[in-house]
Amino acid sequence: MTNHGVNRESFGARIWRRTLQGVGVKLGLAWVGLLVFVAVFAPFLANSMPLLMSKDGVISAPVLHYLNIEDVWVLSSFFLALAVFRLRISTVRRILLFLLGSAVVAVCANLWVKPPVLVIYDDFRIPAYTEVNWRIMPPVPYAPTDYLRDLGSKGLEAPFQSEGHLHLMGTEENGADVLSRMIHAARIALSIGLIASGIALTIGVVVGGLMGYFSGIVDMLGMRLVEIFEDIPTLFLLLTFVAFFGRSLYMMMVIIGVTSWSGYARFVRTEFLKLRKQDYVQAAVASGLPLSSILFRHMLPNGVAPLLVSVSFGIAGAILAEATLSFLGLGVVDAPSWGQMLDQAVKSSTFNWWMAVFPGGAIFMTVFAYNLIGESFRDAIDPKLSGQSEAKP
Amino acid sequence: MLTYLLRRLLLMIPTLLGITLIVFTVMAMSPGGISAQTLVGGMDMKPEERLALLNYYNKRYGLDKPAPVQYLHWLNNVSPIGFIADEQGNYTRFSLSKGMDLGTSFQYGRPVADILAERIPITLLLNLITIPVTYLLAIWVGMKSASERGGVFDVGMGMSMLALWSIPTMLAGVLLLGFFANVQHFQWFPTAGIGSREAQDMPFLPHWQETGFVRGFLLDRIWHLALPVLCLSYGGFAALAKLTRTSILENLNSDYARTARAKGVAEHDVLWRHVFRNSLLPLITISAGLLPSLLAGSLIVENIFSINGMGQLAVEAVKGRDRELVLSITWISGFLTLIGYLLADFCYTLADPRVSYD
Repeated sequence: MTNHGVNRESFGARIWRRTLQGVGVKLGLAWVGLLVFVAVFAPFLANSMPLLMSKDGVISAPVLHYLNIEDVWVLSSFFLALAVFRLRISTVRRILLFLLGSAVVAVCANLWVKPPVLVIYDDFRIPAYTEVNWRIMPPVPYAPTDYLRDLGSKGLEAPFQSEGHLHLMGTEENGADVLSRMIHAARIALSIGLIASGIALTIGVVVGGLMGYFSGIVDMLGMRLVEIFEDIPTLFLLLTFVAFFGRSLYMMMVIIGVTSWSGYARFVRTEFLKLRKQDYVQAAVASGLPLSSILFRHMLPNGVAPLLVSVSFGIAGAILAEATLSFLGLGVVDAPSWGQMLDQAVKSSTFNWWMAVFPGGAIFMTVFAYNLIGESFRDAIDPKLSGQSEAKP
Repeated sequence: MLTYLLRRLLLMIPTLLGITLIVFTVMAMSPGGISAQTLVGGMDMKPEERLALLNYYNKRYGLDKPAPVQYLHWLNNVSPIGFIADEQGNYTRFSLSKGMDLGTSFQYGRPVADILAERIPITLLLNLITIPVTYLLAIWVGMKSASERGGVFDVGMGMSMLALWSIPTMLAGVLLLGFFANVQHFQWFPTAGIGSREAQDMPFLPHWQETGFVRGFLLDRIWHLALPVLCLSYGGFAALAKLTRTSILENLNSDYARTARAKGVAEHDVLWRHVFRNSLLPLITISAGLLPSLLAGSLIVENIFSINGMGQLAVEAVKGRDRELVLSITWISGFLTLIGYLLADFCYTLADPRVSYD
């Protein structure tokens, strides 16, 4: 008997199911998941102070004492995100609730968290911290800015080569542990990727949506703007922005976002040009709904699927852009980032493979992971390919 | 055709204006901005010398004027037609043949046009070697994997091309330089530049002399360019190979290919004469976007391999806040990109007689 069952699966659910079929995308998601874990729990994974120690019957957690505002904010936002994800409300509400919650947390953290201004890592290796009943150290017992001066570190030691202390990925020129720096830099890579492409997506959707909806003169002017942004080599524009506007992390997120929206705008425009004469849009216009409601509540959900592809490629691009800027010496100054570590490897007088291979490998893996995810999204969405896969059961 | 060409060239003007306007706005709005004070600052000079230099910069670039006036001033200097200033700096006469003046670089103290004339050919050389290498390899690999669809080569290629595409240029460059141009490992290639000093005096082709083998100018160039070109080409190669594969697969089972096979045309001819020609169009489309990415790529590659091309100049200019240089580099690379699009559109007509622009 032929199967006459109606497929009640929604479009979004079908795309998710198809996307998750491949092996590559699972590997990609696993790597991104690992990165998120590492980024959120960085202070507990790589730090110089004990996680938990017991001295004369008093149990204390020195690492909690030294958490800074950013650490607290990232940790609580992470748990907030987990909690919000469990609530049974619509996705838009979830996102709004999460943004509101993390803003509140940020304000609270700024008010109440007062970490010690000066951290002297040598202190954690004096008897006050070492002669204890028992203590639990982080898996990587070195902070990213711990240069191990008291241990007589000469800097630049290959993996497993140093005497007395273990460095899985060696040390850099000043003696800091490479793995520890990489763990803390995962934060920069992830946040740059997400926030920069979030900004680009917002600008792209608004500009592209207006262009597609109004067409005519708005479309023509908008397309010229898109062309201008496409024709400037993005890296030149980024360089100019960064060199002239200072180098804070947040500035870089905004700048990468502002320079990479043109692709999204093109996508949304073509989708909206297709949708604007459809009956349900006309009905929404006829019922006198406000413009924002027509654009974002009625049209956008129907044109959003192809965007997923470019968003995942866009995240990869943003991470690469940050790494490139840092590599060219225009990145964030005060915190380690993967690109900056690669730059260090080049600038040092001798070539030390561990300083290049590990951070560079991390950039590669992350970019590769996002590209794999994007690729499988494309395969899932592309009607041509999906037709083939349905035909061959 | 001529009207089409003319229209496209005229349409470039607003785009180029927009590009320079954006970059100029970024520079003008930046904290500190660009003023004569920031340029003069830091030098060890007597007060009156400092004042004289300040006045010179203000007069030469109009740095004491509001930003929109400065932009118009710069635009007038750069455009081939415009107003001519007299000795007092007043614009009196309109001229159609005044020529372009790209200005003088702040940090080099030389005309921007001279600096660019030295640097652009080097970057173009890099890119013009890279593009054919990329295309030939990519077409070969894409063709092979499409014709052996599902085979070991095809499956292996699918994943490894995506991986190759994801390798950051910086990582590849640093590793190549570190392992193959380094006394610690293998010193097979030179570390910097695009030619050695002594090769300037060598004859063009390699030959034997009484002193031994002389590598000649050509071989020396190739030896120097091997790593940078490798570094610049692998990313584009991976993307193009994937694209070639999909586009050939689309055409391989089409009606006209089946007809050709039914008529008894050899499989080789079906592939190269019929299918290949029809699969070229997406490759040409991509080639237009290839040039901007190559320009950006050469920015990184030139910095890693210390090649004095436009990419390195761009980084230096931006770091030194050299307004004239930054503006010129931006609009010239934008111009090259637009020319790339135009050339791609022309290649359509060559590849596909159905396309015409009349």
